[in-house]
Amino acid sequence: MGIFNRIFKVGQAEAHAVVDKLEDPIKMTEQGIRDLKKDLDQSLQALAEVKAMAIRSRKDLNTNKEMAKNYEQKAILLIGKAEKGELDAGEADRLATEALTRKEDAVGEASRAQIEVDRFDTSIASLDKNIKKLKSTITSYENELRTLKARSRVSSATQKINKQLSGIDSNGTVSMLEKMKEKVAQQEAMSEAYGEIALDSRSIDDEIDDVLSESNVKASSSLEALKAKLKQQ
Amino acid sequence: MGIFDIFKKKEPHYDSTNIRVQDLDVGFVFDYDLSTWEVQAIYEYDWGEDYFTREFKVSNGSITRYLAIEEDDELEISLSQKVKIRALDEDLMDTLMQSQQPPKKITYNDVTYKLDSEAPGYFHDVAKGDSWEEFRSWDFEDKAGENVLTIEQWGEKEFEASVGRNLKEFEISNILPASK
Repeated sequence: MGIFNRIFKVGQAEAHAVVDKLEDPIKMTEQGIRDLKKDLDQSLQALAEVKAMAIRSRKDLNTNKEMAKNYEQKAILLIGKAEKGELDAGEADRLATEALTRKEDAVGEASRAQIEVDRFDTSIASLDKNIKKLKSTITSYENELRTLKARSRVSSATQKINKQLSGIDSNGTVSMLEKMKEKVAQQEAMSEAYGEIALDSRSIDDEIDDVLSESNVKASSSLEALKAKLKQQ
Repeated sequence: MGIFDIFKKKEPHYDSTNIRVQDLDVGFVFDYDLSTWEVQAIYEYDWGEDYFTREFKVSNGSITRYLAIEEDDELEISLSQKVKIRALDEDLMDTLMQSQQPPKKITYNDVTYKLDSEAPGYFHDVAKGDSWEEFRSWDFEDKAGENVLTIEQWGEKEFEASVGRNLKEFEISNILPASK
């Protein structure tokens, strides 16, 4: 392998590594599902179109069936009128023949519509089957993605907590607590030291006031009362 | 998919894996009572205080029905058909003309309906621009709340009636979108 080829390969590998870093599998999956949903939407629209055509063909079928029935009844009425002598026989035959011709046209249209209805029904059944399959695939992908997202969130939170606990993160909560603990201990030591200094620097007057303070007087009179009680016993 | 495809089409207003009754639009088809129905028109009703309901004119090729949806606290769906005022009661038209008000109770096809609510509103055919028509509606319901009857007044002397039944959402199935 030539030097340029190797350099190219290194570049290619680095580029792939960068793209891999940029690629968020969750976002890629979401996009994949969105694309699948677009495909599903188009399939649903196609099925809707076929179903709408089937509705119209069924309507044509019913209309033509009714027309055929209607023309047949008219032909019967015309013949009946001729038999009763209400209409010229020749004229009745002509009109009845015309009505029957129209009836045949309607029957022809009805059978054409019936063929269309059957064809549409077959297409609908097949499209419906494929759409159900696509829909269930998308739903299962969505559910899986939802679970993976939850797992990813849990693992990321766990990772954060464990990192804090292990103390690897110097800026983390554990190290902050340690710093706080040190600071508090330092403050306590300082206040103790100040207290000792304050005791050492007390004057005679302070000591007298302390002895004669109300609480001390009460305590000594209680002590006297206790001593007197013990003597009586 | 190219980068410019993003700008070509808007996302649909429904979830393709779960299209609901509220998503219905002209050209949509759905299954009900072992028959496939196509939405032919959409009507909107304004009941005031920003409260709107929708109605879809649907046909299965043989018959036409009106599918009304109302989203109050929960989704209410009803499917009705128009009936002649005189078919409800021979004297009803006269009563309406005289008192401009229907009776509190109507019996039709062995079902007794009682007046449930009365409201004025505005009607609008979505396909026919932005003109709204004023009307008054009286809604009746049977004791079980399964069957509904509506009388509407359009102008002083024009009355319309419809009867139908309340549906559960699952009764409308296989909703498919119209192609754009």
